[in-house]
Amino acid sequence: MIEVKHLSKTFVNPDGSSTTVLTDVNCSIGPGEVISIIGPSGTGKSTFLRALNMLEPPTGGEIWFDGENIMAKGYPLEKMRKRMGMVFQDFNLFPHMTVLENVIFAPVRIHGIPEAKAREEARELLHKVGLSGRADSYPSMLSGGQKQRVAIARALAVHPEVILFDEPTSALDPAMVGEVLSVMRQLATEGLTMLIVTHEMKFARDVSTRIFFMNKGIIYEDGTPEQIFEHPERSATKAFIQRIHKQVFEINPSSPGFDPFEMGTEIHRFCNKYAIPRCAEPATEIAKEMVMKHLRPYDNLTVRLTYGEIRDVAELDFMIEGLSHTPLTPEMDLSRVRSLSKELIEEPTSRGFRVKFRL
Amino acid sequence: MRMKNNLFWTALLALALVSCRGDGPRVDIKSEADLAGRKIVTVAGSYYDGKYSAQEGVDMLRVNTEADGLMAVRQGLADAFVIDEVMFSQETLDQMGLEKACSGEECFPCAFAFPKGDDELLPAFNEFLAQMRQDGSLDAHAAHWIEGGPELPQQEENAVKRSDEPIRYLIVLTTAPICFLKDGGWTGLDVDLMRRFAAWYGRPLQVSDVPIGSAMIALQTGKADVMSGCLFPTEERRQHVTFSDPYYYCRPGIFVRSGATVARKPLWERVKNSFHQSFVAEGRWKLIVYGLLMTIAITLLSILLGTLLGIGFCAMLLSRRKWLRGCAEGYSAFMQGIPTLVLLLIMFYVVFASANVTGSFVAVVTFALFFASSSGTVFASSIQSVPRGQWEAGYALGFTKFGTFRHVVYPQALKIGFGPYVSHCISLLKGTSIVGYIAVQDLTRASDLLRSQTYEAFMPLLAITVVYFLLAWLLRLMLNLAMPKK
Repeated sequence: MIEVKHLSKTFVNPDGSSTTVLTDVNCSIGPGEVISIIGPSGTGKSTFLRALNMLEPPTGGEIWFDGENIMAKGYPLEKMRKRMGMVFQDFNLFPHMTVLENVIFAPVRIHGIPEAKAREEARELLHKVGLSGRADSYPSMLSGGQKQRVAIARALAVHPEVILFDEPTSALDPAMVGEVLSVMRQLATEGLTMLIVTHEMKFARDVSTRIFFMNKGIIYEDGTPEQIFEHPERSATKAFIQRIHKQVFEINPSSPGFDPFEMGTEIHRFCNKYAIPRCAEPATEIAKEMVMKHLRPYDNLTVRLTYGEIRDVAELDFMIEGLSHTPLTPEMDLSRVRSLSKELIEEPTSRGFRVKFRL
Repeated sequence: MRMKNNLFWTALLALALVSCRGDGPRVDIKSEADLAGRKIVTVAGSYYDGKYSAQEGVDMLRVNTEADGLMAVRQGLADAFVIDEVMFSQETLDQMGLEKACSGEECFPCAFAFPKGDDELLPAFNEFLAQMRQDGSLDAHAAHWIEGGPELPQQEENAVKRSDEPIRYLIVLTTAPICFLKDGGWTGLDVDLMRRFAAWYGRPLQVSDVPIGSAMIALQTGKADVMSGCLFPTEERRQHVTFSDPYYYCRPGIFVRSGATVARKPLWERVKNSFHQSFVAEGRWKLIVYGLLMTIAITLLSILLGTLLGIGFCAMLLSRRKWLRGCAEGYSAFMQGIPTLVLLLIMFYVVFASANVTGSFVAVVTFALFFASSSGTVFASSIQSVPRGQWEAGYALGFTKFGTFRHVVYPQALKIGFGPYVSHCISLLKGTSIVGYIAVQDLTRASDLLRSQTYEAFMPLLAITVVYFLLAWLLRLMLNLAMPKK
């Protein structure tokens, strides 16, 4: 359905120098495929997606859509774009139109569908994305998640064969990511061809039929979610997949101003950022109790909060430098911290002794 | 509600002004020597302006018209007004509560001014004057206009028509008995003389009135053939124009407050009188109506043409080509950097100097060029303030560039830019009040004429204040109605 051959894109900077974002992208996308494009930031994921519908005209290569080279000179881009919808990171709803008008806009103006029929269809679509009650609202009255669902309905309204999703949840509050993802999950099951640039690894793994791992301007590894997430072949893929987010707090004599309550704030911020708000409260409570009570005698302490996205595991650990035995004693009442965590692990390391809570 | 309030205040202010009579103390002036240490008022650029500002100890106030000078003395802004003594009738002086304190010592010749190097009209005019002087009709002519002597018999038309091209005659003074409007036409000492000359010479005459500054330029740039209005041939003036032989000798008069309490009629009577004098007598309201139509025509045509040009200008500002953008930015910097009046004068006297076009045409072109810059800038900045993502969303749905602009960007830009656009339109309307400088009789110029004819300052000013205010209000209303809702 879409063939991409040796696609490249070089930006010319205002100072005359140039930056190459896409070096040589090749792929073939069949109907019904749901492809998530993942990878470190700055590797051209969005540029590639935006090149597919020529919002970002490539500087080299070919894109074939249904047997036609859309990069050929004089090719009417509108013709291809009518069949390839797009959902943007910033929604880009039309603020001067109501929700319903946003949805029927292209069907009526471009596809010449009678307005009454378009309205009827639009209401159905809005119902599908859970917004039947907001048809006459203006976009400025909606939350981020609602706006993005309207944008999805708008893209669906012209019955596209493909929809491109450009980081559809990146501009959303963590609390609203779920509502958008669940709409997309539903679409994926309905046989629509989807290309999704995303940072939501769990979503990508669950929903996709294929994963493109992009790195350094090329599709670095291409495979099923299982291949990419469980058995990545190349080292850069592996490093990216297994990467862990972490936040470290050092408590030692050289940092006398340590503020346990500020640590709590930081923990909350971390949990919100990586969409694990469920861990925020237990992690804060455990950290406070350990630092202020049980581990108080030790003045060389490192607290670390980690989250592995793919495995979906959050851990809070306490490292006491140079200690070879466990700092925990039978006299300590650990019942509360135990109840807040799934598992308590004590392990000696070369650096010192580590007490780890799995959250 | 706001409108009602504004009208209320305007009316109150006008009443306060009308009722305020010159109550300053009477000043004792018996000769020119007594002027030392006094505050005196002259018409800017007049001979007396030069003469007295050179004198020590004289505090000088310069006004634009004779009417303003009278008003300044009456209101106590100055002690004495120095101007040609023949300028005002006794009736006018009484009405204003002024009197002539004394006459100046010197006698000054008045002459007509012709462009330098004129070798056709000037010799003919001098010959005509010489003839009149010889048979005594020149003195009789002056006696008629100044002292109310019998009127001269009508000038016989020259049997030979030299040309259908009119003699373009500018008057820089608009007061009786020199040059004034009577029964809808210009007449007076100077105008009648020139009319007789034109008949004698065999060419039609075209009279227009402009401020003296513009008249000098007009004469030098060939936009006019002759000008007059109690002009004294000074050395400075001779450098730029050539003067005819004198046709009249005139003394300066020094006018002061008479001190006699003007019989105070009831307020209502005074307002009624003033209204009658300003608008009803001699059908003077026609001047206001003509001026109003002129102002409306110039404003609307300039807005129309300027908006069209502004769209092109906006396209240049948004162009991807650097040199086009550069040109547009330069143009806008130029337009913002020079006063409209200066541009207007340049357009009339330099750019269109040799073209045979009317002042109102030049005014429309000038204001349109001006408006193109301001409206184009508004359009461009409104379009630019619509986020880039809106264009992309339009494209991604399959709209062409034009379709995206028309349906997505334009409605949003319109909302942003409409307010500033209307403000610029209103500014333009008010800005047109300077077209009098290039001899276009608009609303402001009409009120100037009324004032110089009747010495009723407040009624005409009040009238055009109200008229401009209503015009601005109507224009805003009209534009708001015309604004596309989608």
